[in-house]
Amino acid sequence: MLRQPLSRALALSSPARVAPLAARRYADAVPAQPEKVEVFIDDQPVHVLPGTTVLQAAAQVGVEIPRFCYHERLAVAGNCRMCLVEVEKSPKPVAACAMPVMKGMRVKTNSDLTRKAREGVMEFLLVNHPLDCPICDQGGECDLQDQSMAFGSDRSRFTDIHFSGKRAVEDKDVGPLIKTIMTRCIHCTRCIRFASEVAGVDDFGTTGRGTEMQVGTYVEKMFLSELSGNIIDLCPVGALTSKPYSFAARPWETRRIDSVDVLDPLGSNIVVATRTNEVLRILPRTNEEINEEWLSDKSRFACDGLKRQRLVTPMLKDSRGNLAPVEWEDAVVAAARALRDCPPDKLLAVAGGLADAEALVALKDLLNRLGSEHVCTEHYFPTQGAGTDLRSSYLLNTKIANVEDADFVLLIGTNTRFEAPLLNARIRKAFIHKETDVALVGPKVDLTYEYTHVGDSASIVKDFASGTSSHEVMKRLQQAKRPVVILGADQLKSEEGPALLAYTQELAHKLQENLQDKEWKVLNVLQRTASQVAALDIGYQPGVGQALAAGPKVVYLLGADSGVVTRESLPEDVTIIYQGHHGDVGASIADIVLPGAAYTEKRATYVNAEGRAQQTLVAVSPPGKAREDWKIIRALSEVLGAGLPYDTLDEVRDRLSQVSPALVAYGDVQPNNYFAQARALAQSLQKPVSGKLDVQLKQLEDFFMTDAISRASPTMAKCVQAVLKQKNSPY
Amino acid sequence: MSAARQAIKVGTKNVRPVLSVNHGEAKRRVLNLYKAWYRQIPYLVKDYDMPKSEEQCREKLKEMFLNNKHVSDIRVIDMLVIKGQMELKEAVNLWKQKGHMMAYFKPTEEPKPKDFLSKFFSSNE
Amino acid sequence: MAGALARVIRGTKTNLGIVGPLANINNVPVRFQQTQAPPTKSKYGPLADQDRIFTNLYGRHDWRLKGAMARGDWYLTKEILLKGTDWIVNEMKTSGLRGRGGAGFPTGMKWSFMNKPSDGRPKYLVVNADEGEPGTCKDREIMRHDPHKLVEGCLIAGKAMGAQAAYIYIRGEFYNEASNLQVAIAEAYQAGLIGKNACGSGYDFDVFVHRGAGAYICGEETALIESIEGKQGKPRLKPPFPADVGLFGCPTTVNNVETIAVAPTICRRGGKWFASFGRARNSGTKLFNISGHVNTPCTVEEEMSIPLKELIERHAGGVCGGWDNLLAIIPGGSSTPLIPKDVCSTVLMDFDGLVAAQTSLGTAAIIVMDKSTDIVKAIARLIMFYKHESCGQCTPCREGVSWMNKIMYRFVEGNASPKEIDMLWEISKQIEGHTICALGDGAAWPVQGLIRHFRPELERRMQVWACTHGPSMAEKLY
Repeated sequence: MLRQPLSRALALSSPARVAPLAARRYADAVPAQPEKVEVFIDDQPVHVLPGTTVLQAAAQVGVEIPRFCYHERLAVAGNCRMCLVEVEKSPKPVAACAMPVMKGMRVKTNSDLTRKAREGVMEFLLVNHPLDCPICDQGGECDLQDQSMAFGSDRSRFTDIHFSGKRAVEDKDVGPLIKTIMTRCIHCTRCIRFASEVAGVDDFGTTGRGTEMQVGTYVEKMFLSELSGNIIDLCPVGALTSKPYSFAARPWETRRIDSVDVLDPLGSNIVVATRTNEVLRILPRTNEEINEEWLSDKSRFACDGLKRQRLVTPMLKDSRGNLAPVEWEDAVVAAARALRDCPPDKLLAVAGGLADAEALVALKDLLNRLGSEHVCTEHYFPTQGAGTDLRSSYLLNTKIANVEDADFVLLIGTNTRFEAPLLNARIRKAFIHKETDVALVGPKVDLTYEYTHVGDSASIVKDFASGTSSHEVMKRLQQAKRPVVILGADQLKSEEGPALLAYTQELAHKLQENLQDKEWKVLNVLQRTASQVAALDIGYQPGVGQALAAGPKVVYLLGADSGVVTRESLPEDVTIIYQGHHGDVGASIADIVLPGAAYTEKRATYVNAEGRAQQTLVAVSPPGKAREDWKIIRALSEVLGAGLPYDTLDEVRDRLSQVSPALVAYGDVQPNNYFAQARALAQSLQKPVSGKLDVQLKQLEDFFMTDAISRASPTMAKCVQAVLKQKNSPY
Repeated sequence: MSAARQAIKVGTKNVRPVLSVNHGEAKRRVLNLYKAWYRQIPYLVKDYDMPKSEEQCREKLKEMFLNNKHVSDIRVIDMLVIKGQMELKEAVNLWKQKGHMMAYFKPTEEPKPKDFLSKFFSSNE
Repeated sequence: MAGALARVIRGTKTNLGIVGPLANINNVPVRFQQTQAPPTKSKYGPLADQDRIFTNLYGRHDWRLKGAMARGDWYLTKEILLKGTDWIVNEMKTSGLRGRGGAGFPTGMKWSFMNKPSDGRPKYLVVNADEGEPGTCKDREIMRHDPHKLVEGCLIAGKAMGAQAAYIYIRGEFYNEASNLQVAIAEAYQAGLIGKNACGSGYDFDVFVHRGAGAYICGEETALIESIEGKQGKPRLKPPFPADVGLFGCPTTVNNVETIAVAPTICRRGGKWFASFGRARNSGTKLFNISGHVNTPCTVEEEMSIPLKELIERHAGGVCGGWDNLLAIIPGGSSTPLIPKDVCSTVLMDFDGLVAAQTSLGTAAIIVMDKSTDIVKAIARLIMFYKHESCGQCTPCREGVSWMNKIMYRFVEGNASPKEIDMLWEISKQIEGHTICALGDGAAWPVQGLIRHFRPELERRMQVWACTHGPSMAEKLY
């Protein structure tokens, strides 16, 4: 794999391209700012850094230059020629997207020459573009449509349509997510650049030349990437559209609600497009600190799982052992009776990966009122040493955006590509544009970039921590000015988990001590689910192993669907209450089912792996009799006679802020700095380790179905099928 | 007594009547309307195929007139009479549909629940 | 790959049997011919035989090292190299040599761009031997009959810009030329003329041959660089220019074969000698390719600024059927606008003279068309060539040229509206200057030349069509 050619790398790392983030200024990182040059855009003076392009300079004074191929986050191609502008003293119009500013440059973005050039390019683009806007899914959000209205001619002189017609191009099959109508392609090559630069899958390219040039994969194959859906957003015309969403709706018919994704631990920002109380599609929402403007395929396309396998009514097990639909009153009374009749020490609550903070705190408060302390999460985290008391021990402390600035990344037992695709995209970005190197301890996986594979033995981490390793990675780590160590939380479930965490803390601490930049944080633990951080913040005990062994009589599952709680692991006479939104693993073993709301149906708080609280908003109402989760628990508490003291969402959030102010500081990450203390407490845990590190998600086909929503999604199922089929193909 | 209030009193005294000039006339209009409705009831029950007996309809008619028995302002009485005439015309001319007629028999709305649990059980919120 | 081949050949020289005794060139005193150019010159051409640079243009002599040295190649190359970068660049500037590939950029200035302070990156010389312009056949003559001129030129040009290596990108169809060139390079390596300590000057210089795969666009310098790098031959955006970021991201100069091949002779005989030919700012000698309707098509080296008519009559045996049978001439390869007969009679063959005639010298490939030519079809065929060779990267060229092609072929039949002539003119203007590389311009110019000089012919055809078929559909539509 090739890193960017120097020219592209230079262009991409120019100061103007770096996202304006306050968080990324460090003591020694302040570069000597080159002197700004003055240029004139339509006679408006603007001061910009040298290396800025004319297009960016124009954007600074609010002049938008039309473009098709240019995209802020991709390399400059300069091939659509839509951004041609007149520059004084230049005989030809220049491409604004690629032309760096020069001192005293006078750009005319609205002169006759400029307008003529745009009109000409627009005419050429439309020569071979089909006039199928009425049946095109891009209609209404099509750059070509918009710009031909703004900059095109008002009539056509393409008489040759009656002699020889337009070009037609055969459609390509690139998988179950992306529908291609290649006749519409205007060859901007955004998709090609995205695939090779961001997604790291060099399958796209152009074949043929001139009018016969086609964008495609040459040999027809699936676009094997976890970020493939983004090329739909990137495509300025309707050549690449969403297959599941095809012919579903027009953009002006949909309501768009800002929300947060919960299918991976990063909490990508999304926009949920709905119509008639139905989620039609999910689009990314720009957040420079988390997902930039990308979204992983699971987050984007699993939304059809929200309509299937849903629990729409409360259910009780009848005399024959089948779940039968009942009214809320009956279900709540039955649940309350079960909880009341159970001795407090035989009571267990387990929270799953999609639970929101409000429901989590309500459930914990309820169990505490009943005299029980057994509230657990499905995923384990070592409780020895500092355990979950220090927030910095279980967070992604470096923060997602800052990973870009790292100069060495050590991954321990994690496949970031599938556990947190957008974090992986950041690492890849750093790898390509900033010469960042990556090393991996764990099973060999395809991370889309080159890395040093140190091995998969846990003892490697021990050697790193003790400094006895002679591996070159050790030297690189010690020399690194901004090292990042990312530990996969999955590794901590094993016997050796505490020791592995202790060694990682030791390693991170040693690295951090030697850094000049004291603000830089080295230690990161990458959680696997969207709920885990909030649950640990609220005070849930990680892992269910011990609690299950104690033989509970009543188990309350809050969306616990990962299969760690099974009938077999519980006594015969146990009563299982399942509260959640999908009929998945948890509901299938339950005696009482209480239907909850999915993340698009409630206003709820989720804390991402960095410890950043964000909230989802109500995009659609819960189906059938399903209710918001915290309200179910609140109602249950009242029937139980242990009423929780909050009736409204605001009151629940007040309670959350009592537990931890970080849980309601929406959008912010509180700095956490107790690395030294955590390491000190964990020092006694540094026992010999001998196991091998393994990750759950190794291949692309493992990525698509990981939780109740994506398991219910037919699109995700098609993806798995298609990936397996592609893997069997000779190409 | 302020001047303003005085002005209002004068104003209300000399207000322009809608139809009736005194209570007697207003009362007569009400009774006329009542009778008109009363006579139409058999036809209405038949035309609209209402699942109610004539007796029940008379009951309802009486009830609806008595609903407004506290009204003493002549202008308000006149307005109610005018509205009643309009309704009657719509009903007789079959401009209404069955649902509109049956709406007269709609049970009184129960008050919305106030406490959390009742709200939870009763609504979808 | 070409580099590896060269190395292999160097290693197995005995097998090739091309070990010749080396001429001892180091003891001969340097004597540069100083020919004073007359201050004002009114008559240009014919070129005297002693002033010819390419003395084996027709392959009548030995093209290999021995023969080349007998003709004066590799003579005192070491001394030239030892005179240093500045001297060579200065001599090139004095000579007034302008790039022979078509654009006519002053070579001395181009080379001087490379002498900025080094930032640690190596520098490269790339020789553009992808001679694909229809009508042009000068570089292939150099490469098959005088390859040592090119190899020596590479060395001198490389020295002038401090390059580490030269890549000669040769057109894929030139099989014999590539193999002759490869043999010449191998000979030069064996003789120690290039490679480590080239000519004993202490300067290390490698020459690699890279064969193209048959795309016209790879003759564009940045596309050529991309192609050498192993990518699709698609032109890059400029800026950055190759002198900043070129081959493998390093400073690079791309020169035409002829430009490089004349450099050693200029250095030996002096820039002033070279400048004595032709008009001011158009100095030197030039290879002219004369093809088409002439009695003896040929490639000939002539003085710049020679009148076109004299060139054709002296060297190509005149136009078939006499000068009066001439219809039009494309003076500089297929991408330059044609000029009609009356212009041809007076025009001087140099950069400025042809620009004044609204055309361009280009590669000096003269395509002569007599009155039997279907001029519209000829131009249409050229546009079809450009349509076929457009790389498809940028919009105006990809869409515009194929549209022009459609219109042109309707014009050939006459199935078009006279109003569309202006439309075609506008379309060609919409392409020209709006593209990444010059291919779009090259496709637009022939059409513009046709419309400029042969509009009545186009209108006549449309009338003829209308007489037999009724009015064209385009008439109703547009």
